[in-house]
Amino acid sequence: MKPLLQVENLSLRYEMEKQNVLSSLNFKLNRGESVLLLGPSGSGKSTLTSCLNGLFPRELDGEMSGNVFVHGVENRETKPGERSQAVGVVFQDPETQFCMMTVEDEVAFGLENIGIAHQEMEEKIDSALALVNMLPYKKTDIATLSGGQKQKLALACILALKPELIILDEPTANLDPIATRDFISTLKDLKNNLNFGLIVIEHKLDGWTEITERVILLNQHGEIFHDGSIREVIKEKGQQLKEEGIWIPRVTEHILREHPYLQEPPLTVEEYRRNPVLLADREIDQPIKTESNTVPLLEAKDISWTVNKHEILHNISLTFHQGEFVAIVGANGSGKTSLSRMLAGLRQPTTGNLLVHGKPIKQWKESMLRQEIGYVFQNPEHQFITNTVYDEVAFSLQWKDMRPSQVQEKVEEILDTCGLLKLKHAHPFTLSQGQKRRLSVATMLIDNQSLLLLDEPTFGQDAHSNQELMKLLHKKHQTGATLIMITHDMDLIHDYATRVIIMKDGRVVEDCSPSELWKGDPEKLEAWQLTLPVAVQLKNIYEEEVNDVLTTT
Amino acid sequence: MNNWRFKEIVVMAALAVVFGVVYLAFLPLGSLLVGFMGPIGYDFIFGIWFIVSIIAAYILQKPGAAFLSETIAAMIEVLLGNAVGPMLIVTGMVQGIGAEAVFAATRWKNYSTWVLIAAGMGSSVTSFIYGYFMSGYAALATEYVIAMFVVRLISGALIAGLLGKALSEGLARTGALSSFALGKQQRKDAA
Amino acid sequence: MFLQRLNPSYKAVTIIVFIIFLATIFEPVTPLLFLIWTLAVTFLFGGVSLKKYLLYFTPFIIFALGMLWTSIAFADTPNNPSDTISLFGTSLPKESVLTALALSLRVLNVAALSLMFVFTTNIVHFILSMMQQLKLPPRIAYGVLAGYRFLPMLKDELMIIHDAHRIRGVNQAKTMREKWQNYKRYLIPLLASAIRKAERTAMAMESKGFTGDKSRSFYRQFSIQKQDFIFSIIMLIGFTISYLISYQLG
Repeated sequence: MKPLLQVENLSLRYEMEKQNVLSSLNFKLNRGESVLLLGPSGSGKSTLTSCLNGLFPRELDGEMSGNVFVHGVENRETKPGERSQAVGVVFQDPETQFCMMTVEDEVAFGLENIGIAHQEMEEKIDSALALVNMLPYKKTDIATLSGGQKQKLALACILALKPELIILDEPTANLDPIATRDFISTLKDLKNNLNFGLIVIEHKLDGWTEITERVILLNQHGEIFHDGSIREVIKEKGQQLKEEGIWIPRVTEHILREHPYLQEPPLTVEEYRRNPVLLADREIDQPIKTESNTVPLLEAKDISWTVNKHEILHNISLTFHQGEFVAIVGANGSGKTSLSRMLAGLRQPTTGNLLVHGKPIKQWKESMLRQEIGYVFQNPEHQFITNTVYDEVAFSLQWKDMRPSQVQEKVEEILDTCGLLKLKHAHPFTLSQGQKRRLSVATMLIDNQSLLLLDEPTFGQDAHSNQELMKLLHKKHQTGATLIMITHDMDLIHDYATRVIIMKDGRVVEDCSPSELWKGDPEKLEAWQLTLPVAVQLKNIYEEEVNDVLTTT
Repeated sequence: MNNWRFKEIVVMAALAVVFGVVYLAFLPLGSLLVGFMGPIGYDFIFGIWFIVSIIAAYILQKPGAAFLSETIAAMIEVLLGNAVGPMLIVTGMVQGIGAEAVFAATRWKNYSTWVLIAAGMGSSVTSFIYGYFMSGYAALATEYVIAMFVVRLISGALIAGLLGKALSEGLARTGALSSFALGKQQRKDAA
Repeated sequence: MFLQRLNPSYKAVTIIVFIIFLATIFEPVTPLLFLIWTLAVTFLFGGVSLKKYLLYFTPFIIFALGMLWTSIAFADTPNNPSDTISLFGTSLPKESVLTALALSLRVLNVAALSLMFVFTTNIVHFILSMMQQLKLPPRIAYGVLAGYRFLPMLKDELMIIHDAHRIRGVNQAKTMREKWQNYKRYLIPLLASAIRKAERTAMAMESKGFTGDKSRSFYRQFSIQKQDFIFSIIMLIGFTISYLISYQLG
């Protein structure tokens, strides 16, 4: 029998590029089989998607050689649009996959494309929505759905066409951890019931290894450097993975950090439970001692915020001292971003007061305030205002009384720290995701503000750029600056934060140190939709096991 | 329709949405001007209507881009809730023809500054002829009508032509146009 | 309601036809009467909320008033300057006043016709029906719908960019040049992001098998029925009556 998918010698080069995006790819996928396709950003993963579902070479500006067979039929031999019935794709960005206003119309769109008769549509729409538990939202406006719901809708649209191969192109990159888990578990159930082939393109492995352990690895030149089991790769090519910026499962990473020569490191918490090894408590950098009797850096006194009669923040009082590294966590829509905008003085609270260095924020001159408080936005592009990387950083110094030579020295120093010096003449928009992120941080570092707020700075970053970013922030914290960071990443909090603030429905429901939070009531964490960091989970398991051993003997 | 890539059409629609928002932002200003000066008030900002067709034509450099983009822009405007309703689509087509005619005269080969300015003015001309009949400018004093026409020509030249060119080029520098004619041309020039 | 049930494309074409009819008329009585007729049809068969209607209609009234006084002030030299009427204590050529009135009423009537459409039509359905009844190519129809979805995202982005620029200390622009610089700083990222969104959306749609082919089936089907003809007849009767009365009055 012919394999479901066969890729032979596939190479692709875009017009006016010197190098191939994909180089001589060869792989096979059998009916119902799954594979994880991993590679750093820029390794041509998304390009491959277009090759597999037949958009390329038809829509390609460039050259493509080699063959893609689905059930033995080459893609070039199919009519436009025909292939997309057999090969369905869910893309990364939940916002830009739809063209209709309501959920039902969107599912119908795909059915209309392949000419399903009008009288059969309703039933097909209902059954596809039911598969992903979205039937109650049939008449809902797509714009009101959460990111996770949008991705499930995207999946339903594909499922309605009954594809034999589904490609997921970083489907959870823009989702929070809870939505990610939900999406993966929905997919796992579907996979068990409908026998489709699955290619998951990712740079994070967490969660996916439960679906399959076969991985195909691409390097930065778009070549396959491994096709086989994930366990082998970790064993044999761990270092290379790291260099290519691929996230190995966090559990594995954590254990390998302490036991680099472990032969079969576990991939999930469950596997660790079966065979726990000792993990030392890692020292967390002690925060710079704060003196609570000095004037606090920033003080929120009973602030509330109402928009269109809808109260978004309720009676929040918080005090921030110099040298703190604060993490704000909470489900989407809990008011984290609104609170951070308020703390930065970008929004005025409806009631209550904000004090910066003991002085009401309203009495601050805007320009003075900006020298105290910096803010790093989720999407770095929003902050860019000039045409080159150099100017972007220099812009922040324009009001400082500095000689041009001083400016140049300072800018270049910061660019060097952020690994951007070689790119100083590039246009900020043309940088890679990781570079853009570092540039947006650089523009805030150069000003030496005493308080820096960050809105999910690690969002959508690969492992490598994430590390670079945290290094920068850590350095900034060491100089005595205060950092307030919105994040979903509990491991990050465990590694860096000195204080955690938990938001729920516009209120602060917890404000304590990370270690206190980990020791707290597990049911509460569950209710706030939070999980323990991997390190803490592993430690707990180990202690449980040891206790078991102690009590049973 | 077959020489168009679907993404080019969606890009035109996306441009139209952005400028639809920009136009709505300027509309109160226009209404205020009309209150004081009569219909000539709108003519000052009339060029914003045509900017999409100039940008689309300059970015895509294809026959029909100016006409099609302006028609799409008008449909988007109707979707955005413009009270003028379906008539706007006719208006959009008329405006698009003006710019398209100028590009057609160069056989869609020349996209220099002067051609872009002329295309902006081309839209001014066709839209003015249309307005002349639909809004009954015939009843107004000849001097006033001429003044309106001149203001609209200038608005078309500056706002649509020059501004459209500047924005397209600024956009090309960001790399967002890498798969469109203008972006490709720019990379070729750089190489 | 009756107006809501009509075929959107048919309704649009009917209204455009009457707007063109109106452009041929230069006396005030026909547009006045037909305006009343249009309003009556809108409220009787459309069940439109008066408050909302006034909100939209008021700008047109202001526009029409502006039109009125400028058309008098900047009127073409009348053929018969001795024939005057006195208004607010000044005497004005009757012909100019009548033409100005006619133009202003035309503006109002066109507005009323447009609003009749806008308030009784689901605009998304209008686009879909243009594809089914007016042979609008599917690529354009779905391209437009896809673009329309960007609106809320762009509004959010505009706000975020505004905040982000404040943080960067983008100063309050004083000169024209600085203002232009600031506008450009807003527009370029907004346009760049819109274009990339458009490319991604187009690719996602094509991945769902969209080819722009005309032979597609429709989940929401639109057709032209008897009621649509009834609507055009109602409007035609209104227009004819208005025209005849005006003719009778000379």
